Amino acid sequence: MRPWLTLAIIAVAAVLLALLPLTGDAVWIQFGINALLLATCAQAWNILGGFTGYVSFGNSVFYGLGTYGTAAAMTQLGWLFPVGLALGAGAAMVLALLLGIPILRLRGPYFAIATLGLSAAMAAVVSNIDAVGANIGLILPLTRADGMFYELALALLLACTLTVAWLARSRFGSGLVAIREDEDAAASMGVDTTRYKVIALVLSALFTAIAGGIHAYWITFINPASAFDPTLNVQMVIFAVFGGPGTVLGPVVGAFILSAIYEVLASWISTAAAFLFGLVIVLAVIFTPRGLADIFGGVRRHGAAYLLQNIRENRL
Amino acid sequence: MSAAADAIAPATAPVLDARDLTKRFQGLVSVNAVSFTLAKSEILGLIGPNGAGKTTLINMISGALAPSAGELWFEGRRIDGVPAYQRAHLGIGRTFQVMKPFPRLTVLENVAVGALFGFHGGIRSMKEAREAARQCVEFTGLARRIDQSADALGGPDRKRLELAKALAMRPRLLLLDEVMAGLTPVEVDEVVDVIAKIRDSGVTIIVIEHVIKAIRRLSDRILVLHHGEKIAEGDPATVLGDQRVIEAYLGTRRQ
Repeated sequence: MRPWLTLAIIAVAAVLLALLPLTGDAVWIQFGINALLLATCAQAWNILGGFTGYVSFGNSVFYGLGTYGTAAAMTQLGWLFPVGLALGAGAAMVLALLLGIPILRLRGPYFAIATLGLSAAMAAVVSNIDAVGANIGLILPLTRADGMFYELALALLLACTLTVAWLARSRFGSGLVAIREDEDAAASMGVDTTRYKVIALVLSALFTAIAGGIHAYWITFINPASAFDPTLNVQMVIFAVFGGPGTVLGPVVGAFILSAIYEVLASWISTAAAFLFGLVIVLAVIFTPRGLADIFGGVRRHGAAYLLQNIRENRL
Repeated sequence: MSAAADAIAPATAPVLDARDLTKRFQGLVSVNAVSFTLAKSEILGLIGPNGAGKTTLINMISGALAPSAGELWFEGRRIDGVPAYQRAHLGIGRTFQVMKPFPRLTVLENVAVGALFGFHGGIRSMKEAREAARQCVEFTGLARRIDQSADALGGPDRKRLELAKALAMRPRLLLLDEVMAGLTPVEVDEVVDVIAKIRDSGVTIIVIEHVIKAIRRLSDRILVLHHGEKIAEGDPATVLGDQRVIEAYLGTRRQ
């Protein structure tokens, strides 16, 4: 897609979405906050998973750190919300930096497994820290300002998407894509692969953690199980892969569509919603393995062979 | 080049100086104490039977593999501990025998990576890098494929793509690992002409090749590896007539 068209779509969508709270419909606004935060997570995952080719199951850890950083700063230290957000984001970025250097040496499934282990461990670690409420969790001051949370979430998604749009056209992004396509060839052509991968992970951690912080203040109650929920990470992967990993708009569109389908299913037939949602995803993966970007990109291929080819290429 | 860099690398220093380069894999000695030097704009033909250690030697020069022993000097500075990407910045470019295209990128995007990241860390501007890449694509005869994705290319075009990617890095030393394998005689002649032109622009080149006709035409000097050891080195006519070289390739003549 041409860059000016991408930017035009982003601008129009941002303006339209920003106007949604004017409807004053609480259900829509609450659905919107959730969908915008999930879309941000999927887009942040896309920086590492879609552009760099490293499938992370550890992004829920960054989300949890953002959640806890914000909550602990506000409840235990009495700091302001923005300072809490910065604390959570800082903690997530430091962790990404420290862990990225050893973990990003692993390739393909080994990287995925290592990050999965990390996400399982973090909930257990936080459950044992009394200063942040151990198992019980933390309760944040209640603020009835859904409109503000909505606009904050939208601003975050916009910042994350503009970052990805820049990636898609920049020298740095070209380096990430080269790593995804063939890491050894990228290194031999002069790409400082370790530094590029770590920066991608840190960027991914930054946006994911801020999303967690906004969610914490909005939902007002957090505990280790909800903050470090591995299923959130699975959602990031599904949304991004459904929409088109490595594209600018795919993960956002994927997150909106799948969140909407899930909401409809949940309100319509709550017990079987998860099952039907799974069915939707299976069908989507079979028919558009490279995501919606396939359909809009004019690629009309599907079937088992194409599915397998894409699984290999996406290293899933 | 700045004046300071020139002082470190006087004109008399060889472009590449390999001293007793050795690579062991567990118990297997793949390259055993191989030494040689390269002068500026020289083409060295590297030949030897399959498994002789040619690609391992190239991998040690490009930084894909660390040597087990020995030293490697490039333009007067020691590089055997320098990571691969920094060697690319110093001016060492390579192709891969088992080709490594970026499959989902177009030919132009593939080659642009070389321009963006190669010698001196590459060109910062995307626009200028794409223009430089376009020239390399045209130079290697891939112009009509420029917007195709790399995984749609056939074998010969993939070889050309490897060459274009390495060339876009603006290398001072170019390592070519079997860029002519599988090409027709006409295509071999085209590639030989391209390589000769690259050398004429001041690039030093190591060519691994089994196409002896091409090696004979291109090389100023030939180095022969056999079981990881250097068994001959010298001008093409002498080396290709050497009895040990013929035996290494064809086996011993029955009496």
